[in-house]
Amino acid sequence: MSSFDPFNTPGADSQAQQTANEQRLADIINCLHTGAVPAATRARLEGARSGTLPWTATLSPAELLIARSHGLRPIAAVSATCWLHHGWSWTEGHAQGWGMALQRLRAEAKAAGANAVLDVKMRTIPLGVENSTDFTLIGTAVRIEGLPPSQEPIVATVPALEFVKLLEADVVPTGLAIGAQYDWMNDWRGRTNQAWMGNVESTALGSFWETIRQRAHAELRRSAQPQGNGVLAHINFSQLFEFEGGENKPKRFLGRHIVIATTVDARRGVPFQHDVQMVVDMHAGSTPLTGTTPHHQSYATNDKEGAI
Amino acid sequence: MPNDIPAHAKERLKGLRSSAHSTGVFTSDFSVNEFLLVRKAGFEPIGLCVGTCVYHVGIQYGSWGKNQELDVLSKAMYHARELAMSRMRAEATAMGADGIVGVKLTIKRLEFDEHLLEFIAIGTGVVHGEGHKGFRAHDGGPFTSDLSGQDFWSLLHAGYRPMEMVMGSCVYHVAHRGMLSGLSTAGRNVELENYTSAMYEAREIAVERMQVEAAAAKAEGVVGVDIHEGSHAWKPHVIEFFAIGTAVLPLDQEIAPEKIADPIMVLSVND
Repeated sequence: MSSFDPFNTPGADSQAQQTANEQRLADIINCLHTGAVPAATRARLEGARSGTLPWTATLSPAELLIARSHGLRPIAAVSATCWLHHGWSWTEGHAQGWGMALQRLRAEAKAAGANAVLDVKMRTIPLGVENSTDFTLIGTAVRIEGLPPSQEPIVATVPALEFVKLLEADVVPTGLAIGAQYDWMNDWRGRTNQAWMGNVESTALGSFWETIRQRAHAELRRSAQPQGNGVLAHINFSQLFEFEGGENKPKRFLGRHIVIATTVDARRGVPFQHDVQMVVDMHAGSTPLTGTTPHHQSYATNDKEGAI
Repeated sequence: MPNDIPAHAKERLKGLRSSAHSTGVFTSDFSVNEFLLVRKAGFEPIGLCVGTCVYHVGIQYGSWGKNQELDVLSKAMYHARELAMSRMRAEATAMGADGIVGVKLTIKRLEFDEHLLEFIAIGTGVVHGEGHKGFRAHDGGPFTSDLSGQDFWSLLHAGYRPMEMVMGSCVYHVAHRGMLSGLSTAGRNVELENYTSAMYEAREIAVERMQVEAAAAKAEGVVGVDIHEGSHAWKPHVIEFFAIGTAVLPLDQEIAPEKIADPIMVLSVND
């Protein structure tokens, strides 16, 4: 009888597998620090770039058609994640998290030899890990025929059709700008207690919230400045909370505002070159002509949204 | 005017039936637009193809503080989908279909047993109207594609034909708050690197597997890639990354590239 127990003794294969997995994870963590692209991902991207592996694209066939007719060649689906714990600020975490993910996405695009990443979607995973958010960007890295790979690929948070429409109009979507601000207000003097009043503006709350929004929009402008000369701001997310005070404690308010935008580089005063033709779209329900579905699922808001 | 109605349609309106199909009937789940565009692309629907697989998913728990793939679950999810897909494809082969378009791959949880998952693949088998066999997959069987009829037409006009639905799956256990223990995060926003790296690894495994399938199908590329995550009511911290798309090859003699019209871009003035 052999004392060999297949259930207790890991085989050489599974041991090697385990070591490989651990090395892979260690490499990913190391790359998170250095800003490099993990080795496994880099190998896949280089394969797609050189044609030894099939290209992959998140584009629909219609988008592929329009992309190819405009000289765009898909290389690979690229993605980036930053999982952030909001130990300091949930609101500012959103600027940090998306900013970091954007930086990592650019690194993957560069490794793929791309000029641009388009169809970039913003996602968060509802895994419910305490007080944290997973900021994930997924898109398709493309190269433009006849252009050398870019050292700093642009990131377009618009679908491929909109990307091409913008390019035709000499507008280049370049990245993501974020303005995220919050503030607290202690109502020491009870200025928000207006129960006995008639029709009157609540100036205390109004100016409190207006200040937050102004600061968020000023930050949006600063965040956009290095990336382009304008933004299309598609996400405006805001919340105002009231916290009851207690004995000797005033009522408190928390206001926060997050605005996220696609930055663009546009020449001023140059409209798109096509003639305008009237067409009737016979689509039932929503029409693909006006764009596509919202390009994120990260902010539930009742504000009207377009594609981002 | 009535002159514009084709002869066959007029016959039918007069009450006469066509006998073009061997069974006399085709079935499909096409919408009107899909039906018209699949025919415009030169194909005829012949029948709905279905594959089902009820699968008992085994149990596997990850160790509490460790990021790791749960390979028992990964294999289960992959194997069950593969079974459903291959059964659907067998039906299509039996019908003599050249391909299946509009494949919908869904998962249902059976309520009476938490380990039972039902995988369903359903799509419409089509044949080329002039009997062209060049559209079949590399193994000579029917191609499979999750593209709608409209997308199928668009793909052919982008110069590609669908080969095979390709997919990759990775069920992953995300460690429970390893980084933060003993580390004060009060007053700071800190990246949870073990979570971030778990996302990277799990997604990478799923995408790699999909790409390997595409390479095995001798495809040039994969279109309509969807990378998404689901938790199928597993324990918290267990998540599946799933990558799926349609592997494609460039058309060579099937449609001459110069016959492909340039698309017309439309800017809508509607809100």
